[in-house]
Amino acid sequence: MLEVKNLTKIYDDGTVALRDVSFELADGEFLIVIGLSGSGKSTLLRCINRLIEPTEGQIVWDGVDITTAEPAELREIRRRIGMIFQHFNLVRRSTVLINVLSGRLGYVNPWSSLLHRFPKKDREMAMAALERVGIADQAYKRADELSGGQQQRVGIARALMQQPRMILADEPVASLDPVLAHSILEYLELLNREEEIAILCSLHYLDLVQRYATRVIGLRDGRIVYRGSREEIRAMTDREFKEIYGEEAVRVGVGLREGGGE
Amino acid sequence: MATRRTRQEIRPSLVSPPVAGVASLLIPGLGQILARQFQRGLLLLGSLVTSIGLFAWRVSLLAGREVGLAAKFNKALRWSPLFVLPVLVSLVALWLWIAWDAYQQAQPGRRGGGIGVFVLVLVLFFALGWQISEINLYKLVTELSDASGPLSRVVWPWAAAVTRDVETTGAGAEILSPCDDLPPPSPPEEVSGEPYLVAEPTCGDLSQQVEEGGELKTIPGTTLSIVGRGYEPNTETELWWVDPIGNAFRMRSEGQYIVFTTDEEGSFELEVDMPYRLIPPSSEGRQVHRIEARQITTVGGLKPSSALLHNIEKMMETIVLGMMATLFGIVFSIPVSFLAARNLMSGSPFTMAIYYVTRSILNVIRSIEPLIWAILAITVVGLGPFAGVIALTVHSIAALGKLYSESIESIDPGPIEAIQATGANRLQTIMYAVVPQMIPPFVSFSIYRWDINVRMSTVIGLVGGGGIGFLLTQYIRLLDYRSAGICVWFIAITVATLDYVSSDIRQRFV
Repeated sequence: MLEVKNLTKIYDDGTVALRDVSFELADGEFLIVIGLSGSGKSTLLRCINRLIEPTEGQIVWDGVDITTAEPAELREIRRRIGMIFQHFNLVRRSTVLINVLSGRLGYVNPWSSLLHRFPKKDREMAMAALERVGIADQAYKRADELSGGQQQRVGIARALMQQPRMILADEPVASLDPVLAHSILEYLELLNREEEIAILCSLHYLDLVQRYATRVIGLRDGRIVYRGSREEIRAMTDREFKEIYGEEAVRVGVGLREGGGE
Repeated sequence: MATRRTRQEIRPSLVSPPVAGVASLLIPGLGQILARQFQRGLLLLGSLVTSIGLFAWRVSLLAGREVGLAAKFNKALRWSPLFVLPVLVSLVALWLWIAWDAYQQAQPGRRGGGIGVFVLVLVLFFALGWQISEINLYKLVTELSDASGPLSRVVWPWAAAVTRDVETTGAGAEILSPCDDLPPPSPPEEVSGEPYLVAEPTCGDLSQQVEEGGELKTIPGTTLSIVGRGYEPNTETELWWVDPIGNAFRMRSEGQYIVFTTDEEGSFELEVDMPYRLIPPSSEGRQVHRIEARQITTVGGLKPSSALLHNIEKMMETIVLGMMATLFGIVFSIPVSFLAARNLMSGSPFTMAIYYVTRSILNVIRSIEPLIWAILAITVVGLGPFAGVIALTVHSIAALGKLYSESIESIDPGPIEAIQATGANRLQTIMYAVVPQMIPPFVSFSIYRWDINVRMSTVIGLVGGGGIGFLLTQYIRLLDYRSAGICVWFIAITVATLDYVSSDIRQRFV
């Protein structure tokens, strides 16, 4: 159970990215954050594992206050929170396997990891993770040789290596071909259902939100302006849509395909 | 730009066109300034003043020591009419044109344009520049043939790359001069199979030079008839004269060295006059000279010449010099580059100050050429490759420091964020997210620098910093153009090879 209480983030230049944001994320939920670019979605996700330091407010995860955690404690927290990025954020020049293994960095002996030495158990685990996302045959290629969809799967495999209890996904499909979006989100859905990993995901496309979310919050100018269940988002009115996205927004979709894949 | 133009159109000229023209005739550019074309006026005034100044300077140089303006000008005109006349005409034309341009610029609604006056300024500067830099195409063509000898030796120097051992063989006979009452030296014993020389007579008078009516006349010495046997057959043979104090001279006849060829049996016969030699007045006793016939024969096969060996040696030194400088440069520039990376140093005003200081120092060091650093280093450690290493190291630190710091500034923060999110500590983050991004530019820049350093180390010897450049200057000063040519070839081959290798390696890493 993740509780975000009155979270506010003001950047050094005075930009208010988040304003008094409060919500909860129960275990096993697939919570999707929607909103325009610049509405504070990325900042919100990064505040949760403190890649960005919150200005005010509290984030409590399973009774532990993340906001006040000491560096060592914070690393322990971070290693149980997987993270997936819009631009994948792979180390492009390292191999796929090294990228996946880097998900174990919070667990392994720090000194031997500096020499790229990982326990045999972790290597097997990495191959299994790659197997699971269907790109085991690419393990020894350089990360930048892979296509965008494959790179994001490496990103998922890296997050899996953390044996996460929660995954933060920051626009995981925004830089992918729309047809690949489903394949990535389906992996997340699978993890969510089978391993009860809580997922906090920011998304652009409303169709995808309707298909995958168990709950939705909408952000606008750093404030929560919409809260809805899966059913409610499917029945979203134009009024509510414009509330989140502004008056000029027009609804577009990527074509919902039930059970779609690649 | 557009707003400026409209504002100019709203503000018309302060004076009428004729007034502007007259103003510019009196003080060039004034008319343009009055027509609210301030920059144009200043530019034209500056151009005219500068070109008149340059013209005056060159005329006074051409005039030499003539006194008075007219005299100076006349002298210059006589010496270089092709320069003085056209430039003078152009200057006058420019002055008038500036006045006309002022008239034009003061017309209502007229702004800018009139590119012709600036073209004239350019042509004028070009003509002055031609004279100042003493360009002389005639010389380039007529004196090229004089240089063809040295040039062809530099272009194809390989005759000097190999050599053969030579052996000098021969025999001699003693000659007494002048003759005295005692018996003269007897001819040497003949040993069969070895060169043998006999001269007749074995005493005589040397040639003498006397001054007669202001002219130097030579009185020929005693004629010697020389017979040689047991020499190499059909081989060129030289005659040498060894005086009593042991100095040997090649004998001449009519100014030419005496060279003859032995017959098929290795024998020869010829007659020569005893040469003119000054004997030191302090020498006492009987003066016994010696005449020798010598043959120079090559022994053994071709072997590398000393020039070639020196070149190989110095080329190795050059490459190693460049390599050492690169290694030191890399080692020292890494810490420096962190201090010069804006993204790492933007934390506080103090670190920002360090950043600016480091950057400025790097810029200053980099703007001083390695040759100058070498001269400075030589004053500390003396001539030799060490000075070259210091010079190139200093320059490399500055150049690599800048390049490395720029590549640190341009790393992608995404992977850093991702690795931090896995719970990795700081060191792990650097190792997994920063280092892999740093390697390609790092390797690329380092190899590029190695390339530059070896290239530079070939010339750092010109000022005494070691390496092959040192050898090159020596050979050129000795007019040994073949050996110098070998240097040039070695430098070209090394630099081209390195260029290829370094670009190949860089391509693999990027």
